[in-house]
Amino acid sequence: MSNPTFDADGITLEQVREYVWEVPQEGDMRVPARVLASEALLEEISEDKTLEQITNTTHLPGITNYAICMPDGHQGYGFPVGGVGALDAENGCISPGAVGYDINCGVRMMRTNLTYDELQGREEELVDSLFANVPSGLGGGGIVESGVDTVDEILERGVDWALEHGHAVEEDLLHCEDEGMREGADADKISQKAKDRGKNQIGSLGSGNHFLEVQRVTDVFDDEVGEAFGLEEDQIVVLIHCGSRGLGHQTCNDYLRKIEQQHQGLLNQLPDKELAAAPAGSQLAEDYYAAMNAAINFAWVNRQLIMHRTRQVFERVFDRSWEDMEMELLYDVAHNIAKKETHTVEGKERELYVHRKGATRAFPAGHPEVPKAYRDVGQPVIIPGSMGAGNYVLRGGENSMDLTFGSTAHGAGRLMSRTQAKDEYWGGDVQQELEEQDQIYVKAQSGATVAEEAPGVYKDVDEVVRVSDELGIGDKVARTFPVCNIKG
Amino acid sequence: MTGAQGRRFELRAHTADVAVAATGETLEDVFAAVADGLAAASCDDIPDGVGERETLSVTAESREALLFDYLDELIYLRDVRVALPVDHRVDSIERPDGERESESEWSLEASARNVPLTEVDAREVKAVTYSEMRLERVGGEDERTAADGDESDDGGWEAYVVFDV
Repeated sequence: MSNPTFDADGITLEQVREYVWEVPQEGDMRVPARVLASEALLEEISEDKTLEQITNTTHLPGITNYAICMPDGHQGYGFPVGGVGALDAENGCISPGAVGYDINCGVRMMRTNLTYDELQGREEELVDSLFANVPSGLGGGGIVESGVDTVDEILERGVDWALEHGHAVEEDLLHCEDEGMREGADADKISQKAKDRGKNQIGSLGSGNHFLEVQRVTDVFDDEVGEAFGLEEDQIVVLIHCGSRGLGHQTCNDYLRKIEQQHQGLLNQLPDKELAAAPAGSQLAEDYYAAMNAAINFAWVNRQLIMHRTRQVFERVFDRSWEDMEMELLYDVAHNIAKKETHTVEGKERELYVHRKGATRAFPAGHPEVPKAYRDVGQPVIIPGSMGAGNYVLRGGENSMDLTFGSTAHGAGRLMSRTQAKDEYWGGDVQQELEEQDQIYVKAQSGATVAEEAPGVYKDVDEVVRVSDELGIGDKVARTFPVCNIKG
Repeated sequence: MTGAQGRRFELRAHTADVAVAATGETLEDVFAAVADGLAAASCDDIPDGVGERETLSVTAESREALLFDYLDELIYLRDVRVALPVDHRVDSIERPDGERESESEWSLEASARNVPLTEVDAREVKAVTYSEMRLERVGGEDERTAADGDESDDGGWEAYVVFDV
């Protein structure tokens, strides 16, 4: 009996196993494309250009095994959001477009020892104080406003710079990927324009879907891993979602344009100009990798400064030291990144640029790149939902290396466009409803942002996480629910 | 549809981002219409009479690259001037004549009114993208001549640009 198929506007997918759908290789595709989804999620994924974009991605030279769309995938630009592509680091290429504009956009979670009971009644004071002290929105400045010399140091040293300047403690570094500093970062590969944009934005949320959220842990599904992550029910945690701000956006565009000027031949082979890639081994590929690593460091410092400022806000609101409230970084994950990683492909070890755009690294227990603190249980994966739905903490699953080059989803995934969201929702109503029905306190620079980020514009995060868990690429550990949310 | 005389733009739905579809009688008009679309995607209510008008110049190796770099420059200037560029005017677009090195590129002269971000409820558009970008002549025979580089403006122009939000 042949496998079930799914037809979506000219693209036919075959089900190769439960939750794994494949667009077979044909024409100029170098490998098949895969979508990891339940039928319900696949219905949603097929409603925009996600399938066309993941199929386009298979045209990139050096793409290995298949281009993969995560369960929360949706249309992006060039590469879909929720896309994973592993490109050969010797004979393939590296694609700034497949990393995206917001280099190292990501999330970090900070634990506290506060309980929800201790916070109740102080939500308004907390949300007001966070909003007043954490820069957000457009033109809101940064926690640190500096000259280009400081930007250069941040680009090359990452969170180590924050440690030296009193915005971090040693423990923060130990709970961050690469201890908060990418090797091979070169500030000279970042343009003056990018640095000019970044220098007034160090320690700022920005706008769009970026936010800071105080949450309570509502469920711990796996007691052993929950304990290793320091999570228990009713505990208060803080989630911070932002990236490399204007510095990262400018860096992506700078390199897209250089590729257009220097590697037109490769560009002409690709079905979407936004997939622009530099051939592995070329000077431009080396330069972009060094620049991207520097922008990754900038984003880590950005989230670190916001987290440290949040500790100070909690100190004032709760009149206790942050150390006493045990406000410790659980983990920081990147959503938009390409990393040179070693993976086993058909029995051989190969170096690959693993591009994850709107996807999270999810290495399993025992992997040497998981920080020591979590190596026995697997890498923490943090999945934000929408303002009105739960968020999840997962751990890297044991099938992730075989199925997804060690990756899983990054969020709920958008369902509705921003323009439609503004037609259907009004920011003030959304805010009031969240407060009255769910006791969620939201404060934003722009009412339009609240409307665009209304809970109804996102996919069902429960279903996204269920598929990740069933596939064994990211296992459910805990669930959290928003209490206070600030955004741009 | 919104816009000054001779040009119009419309914000189009895009799952994660925002797209601007624009038309103009001339190439200058369509560039300015896309830029006005970028401003509208950033801010619902742009106040009249606030902010100084400033000029900008951009050069690039092709017509499409010129549009990309123009929009990229506007986003860059927004961040460094901490002001939202609005009411765009594109005064001239010169095509290269190919005779001298300095004239081998397309060039553009434009201006915008810069509204301080403290004066508006604006949100961040992160970047211009090449994804699905279209810039083409419309209308009868002109579509053929546009492909050959004929710059007569009889037929009008259309552009479609996706911005990362």
